[in-house]
Amino acid sequence: MALLTVIGRGVRVRGRVTGEADLTIAGHVEGEVAVAGDVTIEAGGLVGANVSARSVVVRGAVKGDLTGEELVRLEDGARVVGDLRAPRIAIAQGALVRGLVQTGGAPSAPARARAETPAARPAARPAAPELARPAPSATAARPAAPSPPSTLAGRPTAIATPQAARAAANHAPAARKGPPPPVVPALKKGAKAALKKKAT
Amino acid sequence: MASTVIGAGITIEGEISADDEIVVQGTIRGKLEAREGVTVETGGVVEADIVSGPLSVSGHVTGNITSSDRVDLLAGAKVVGNVKATRITIADGAQFKGNVDMDV
Repeated sequence: MALLTVIGRGVRVRGRVTGEADLTIAGHVEGEVAVAGDVTIEAGGLVGANVSARSVVVRGAVKGDLTGEELVRLEDGARVVGDLRAPRIAIAQGALVRGLVQTGGAPSAPARARAETPAARPAARPAAPELARPAPSATAARPAAPSPPSTLAGRPTAIATPQAARAAANHAPAARKGPPPPVVPALKKGAKAALKKKAT
Repeated sequence: MASTVIGAGITIEGEISADDEIVVQGTIRGKLEAREGVTVETGGVVEADIVSGPLSVSGHVTGNITSSDRVDLLAGAKVVGNVKATRITIADGAQFKGNVDMDV
């Protein structure tokens, strides 16, 4: 009881929240959250801050990076825009994430982790295949996200083929029946006479 | 139980505004605004101006207090700052330094 901290609904905090204790956020926090204990962001909670804690459990909305010394868990209803970094990361069905997800690694040195990300990312992906965004489960959960590339890839070909077919259809009968009917008269009436006049 | 508790071991530096009751057992620096009551418990430290409804202090407060209701300084409280409230009680054993402004 003594070490329990709750930031309830209808409470707005702008600034830094630090300390040793556990923290439950059901209200709004803007700034920075850095505690040694566990942080729980409840449904309805809104955090516009980087959060670092021993463990971070999210059921609400976060805009900022989540760093867990032990774990980061996104549960159903979580919406996170920011990077996730922890030795163990769980993303439940129904949670939305936009950002870099990195399991394992050294949580102590974010700067080093950033420098290592290109090398670390492929190594991290196989470790957590369900976290990789292009995984089939992700496409099933979020049909809107993967669809743009497929439509982009599909649309030009879909458009190109009817055009090509139409062009071919225009050309083919023309070749068979003789000269195609002129769309625009090649020369105006009296143009030939005008040319003759100029020549003379 | 109040919906918002700033527990011991937690420090908030910044601004807090709340629609409901706040219990402070930890540390707050900056500004504290609550429409409902604020309770600063023993061990709680508030280094901030407080604007609230009923306020009850048994911890430490440094800053000006403005309350739309009553302010109770309980035994063990240590308050440095001006207090503006409709009613105020200072218990035996409370330490207080500052002006009191009551609507007379």
